[in-house]
Amino acid sequence: MMILQILSAFSAVLVFTMILEIPKKYMLYASASGAVGWWAYLMVQNSGHSSMLAAFLSTLVVAFLSHILARVKKAPVTVFLITGTLPAVPGAAIYRSVYYFLQNDSALATKNLLETIQIAGAIAMGIFTMDSLFRLVLAYDRKKAEKG
Amino acid sequence: MDEKLLLKAVVLAGEIMLSSGAEVSRVENTMQFMLRRSNCEVTEAVVLATGLFVTMADPGGEPMTFSKRIPARSTNINRICRVNEVSRQFCHMELTVEEAYEELKRIQKEILYKPWMKLAGIIGISVSFIFIYGGNFLDLSTSVLVGICMAAADRFTKILRLNDFSTTAFCGFVVAFSAMLIQELCPFKVSGDVMIMSAIMYLVPGIPFTTAARDTINGDYAAGSARMLECIVVALAVAVGVGFGMVCFRTLWGGTL
Repeated sequence: MMILQILSAFSAVLVFTMILEIPKKYMLYASASGAVGWWAYLMVQNSGHSSMLAAFLSTLVVAFLSHILARVKKAPVTVFLITGTLPAVPGAAIYRSVYYFLQNDSALATKNLLETIQIAGAIAMGIFTMDSLFRLVLAYDRKKAEKG
Repeated sequence: MDEKLLLKAVVLAGEIMLSSGAEVSRVENTMQFMLRRSNCEVTEAVVLATGLFVTMADPGGEPMTFSKRIPARSTNINRICRVNEVSRQFCHMELTVEEAYEELKRIQKEILYKPWMKLAGIIGISVSFIFIYGGNFLDLSTSVLVGICMAAADRFTKILRLNDFSTTAFCGFVVAFSAMLIQELCPFKVSGDVMIMSAIMYLVPGIPFTTAARDTINGDYAAGSARMLECIVVALAVAVGVGFGMVCFRTLWGGTL
């Protein structure tokens, strides 16, 4: 089942690359980034943790991979970052909060709304953390280069 | 060096990048790198989420300022990459101003994938997320129909040139309505929920959200909050559209939600 899900994430990002006009030479790497992100998400979730932690850790993995890929392939980080975080975007939680809201079940509606915000925040935190770490690495590199 | 043409080229580069959804700091850096080739003493590029300004000033001459409003934004990674390449070549003296300007004009019209491929992509998204949300092969086959409806709705709103909210809400409405109709009409048991969740993955604002987060961490709070607001508006539009579609269908068809 997990293989099927990861393949789904791969194909979802692959078709998304056409809508986002991602050049063909980055297509497979971007899709791989999405698949790895979803794999990490599932691994965390299957070991009994919340979807918030899963979103945070999978975004960390994706962001790390994106920064590495961007340097290797000489492309903007965004290319691999936006595609990698796509499967973790809380679309289902938005739908569920609307669904329960229409059923007049405000407890479940609020719970799902909160989950939407938590996952979104976790994704943002993941991007913040990895961007800051790589900025440190860059600053260290520059310092070393200046010293000769 | 033709300073006026350089100014035009820099503004064009910024315009293409910003309307293609690049982060503000990337746009500013690219423009500032290109401005380094000018002979002016003071050059400044300021980029906001909805517009940009470039000023070039020389102690001897008149200062020149160019401002450009960017009303519509979408995501086009190819154009961001291409402008990056051109600006790099331009800074390494491999291109003259005239060549760079011509190349940028060409990039502005460049389209990598044909319209039918994008429509196929929309259908592909509504199909691909089925397994992720726990659907089966039956849901997979019927979600193609939901995808076709969404692609048609997307095309229709593009022709009408509606704003973000209306576009997304209309697509959400069509998705919810068609998915529930298929759930009722299909002789086999298919899950409307799964089909809706899978299809709205195309509508939810995951890409502007990622860019908003990166803008915020770069210190571009104005652009970050503008994009964050865009995400909230689009997410609300999805909620309103899907909710309205479900209520409408149940009112017309009968039955409970």
